[in-house]
Amino acid sequence: MTVFSTQTWPECGFGAQVRILAWRSLRAEFADRRLVFFGLLQPVVLLVLFSQVFQVVGALPGLSGYDGYVNFLVPATLITIALTTAMGSSAGLLAELYGGFTSRLRCMPVSLFAALTARTIADGVRLGAQLIVVVAVSYALLGFRPGGGVAGVAAAVALTVFFGWCLDWVFVALTTMVRKVEALQAVAFVVTFPLMFSSSAYMPIAAMPSWMRILSALNPVTYAVNATRALSSGVASGPAVLAAAGTAFAVAVVGGVCARRAIRR
Amino acid sequence: MRDSVIVVDGLIKRFGEVEALAGIGFTVERGSILAVLGHNGAGKTSLVDILSTRARPTVGSASVCGLDVVRSARQVRRRIGVTNQYAALDDAVSPRENLRVLARLLGANPQQARRRAAELIGLFGLDTHADLPARLCSGGLRRRVDLAASLVGTPEVLFLDEPSTGLDPVSRSGLWDTIAGLAAAGTTVVLTTQYLEEADRLADQVIVLGLGHIVLAGEPARLKSALGNQVVSLKLENPFETERLMRRITGFGLPANRQGATMIAVAVTGPADIVGLVRLTDAEGLLLCGFTVTEPTLDDVYRAVHQTAVVPS
Repeated sequence: MTVFSTQTWPECGFGAQVRILAWRSLRAEFADRRLVFFGLLQPVVLLVLFSQVFQVVGALPGLSGYDGYVNFLVPATLITIALTTAMGSSAGLLAELYGGFTSRLRCMPVSLFAALTARTIADGVRLGAQLIVVVAVSYALLGFRPGGGVAGVAAAVALTVFFGWCLDWVFVALTTMVRKVEALQAVAFVVTFPLMFSSSAYMPIAAMPSWMRILSALNPVTYAVNATRALSSGVASGPAVLAAAGTAFAVAVVGGVCARRAIRR
Repeated sequence: MRDSVIVVDGLIKRFGEVEALAGIGFTVERGSILAVLGHNGAGKTSLVDILSTRARPTVGSASVCGLDVVRSARQVRRRIGVTNQYAALDDAVSPRENLRVLARLLGANPQQARRRAAELIGLFGLDTHADLPARLCSGGLRRRVDLAASLVGTPEVLFLDEPSTGLDPVSRSGLWDTIAGLAAAGTTVVLTTQYLEEADRLADQVIVLGLGHIVLAGEPARLKSALGNQVVSLKLENPFETERLMRRITGFGLPANRQGATMIAVAVTGPADIVGLVRLTDAEGLLLCGFTVTEPTLDDVYRAVHQTAVVPS
């Protein structure tokens, strides 16, 4: 029987494990057409709703520099999408951690941290696809014409993908620590909404109560939104982008360390 | 010299106050099949989890292929295959894709992985369903894919946790043939089961676990000598005659067990014993309203060993 033809395969390193597992996640995800369709529709719905509901905000002082609220809003919506996508992936991750495939990995020479890393990379690729659709829709339907042009918007999208990947680690960590879907939803909500609304995403910080301004200054979302806005308007400065990437990466490191510890239990 | 692939020594596993394994030890020879028998909660899964490096022992040690399961977990994992009670598959993709990804993770290059997947699909007769999503496969088929998945890396030791639970008789018998074939070709197999028949058919060596202790260990023949091949249940019309018949049967040299007012269970070793029992009741002039012959169950093992059942309450 060939079952017993001894294999002389070399050991599969961490990087290769991540690549194989990320590719596997993506194949599974894109094989499900409903997932692809609603995954791409969801951020468009978000964008259209926000652009209509918050239209009046465009008349506020402090927004005059953006030549229309949509140019202020779209970069912020990119970041919001990154946040909600990261949040949304936690339920799927939980199911996967307790599903059959992961239980098999536990008794294979495969690092579970590699499985988590693969998951964040697959989430990042999905986020990239979502963002491209959102930018296309805002260009076609909402008159999104930022000063930075194609290069500026591309840079903003790239930064948003990086931000989303970093924030994904927070939810990966929460998932590995909380391990119960109802509790996880509650926790994810408590984390996500303050991050979203205490940032400069929807309102200029100057229009907020003073205690919220402090919160806003500590919020990585603020830096990310400021940087994507600056990049898409073509007025980006190195320090703004560095601040955004740096704060997001710090969050990723904390999330990664927590997740690595929790997954071994 | 004997070649022990698994060595377990003084193994204790506690979950808080609960002692799942209460200090057990045994060895398993290369190419043999060990059946671990026990009820739910007897400690079977804890034992398999420790040997397959998914759980750590509280006290004691275990080694697989000469490697400590805690200190050298990674090396152990390269040498074992595990099939759980529930098929550990990625349901979103096909059996072929499952096997291919596992081969890749075990270090095969893309070409080798494809070849290995195709090989196992042929070997396990999965051709017709190989490219459908795994979630569409029936229970029996999923088990086959799962077993194939645990063999991707050609393990030296295969752990099967209740492999036949939930399978129909035909699938079960096919699975048994596969397991026997694997062992014949040199794979060491550890399987857990609640069915004596399974242990009897497959195992070279049997361990019966009860509340974390080994209550009986040895070859299947030893089980039988402790137990008899079959159990005859006699049901009397008159409850006042039960005690008399009990004494007559034990006097005849057969282990009898009173079960309720009018029932007696007798472990027999062959047809001669059964005929003897019939003659005995006839000679006593007793009226029977029931006479059934059944294969022994795990409960009978516990009763035979301890007289009282070692079953978790």
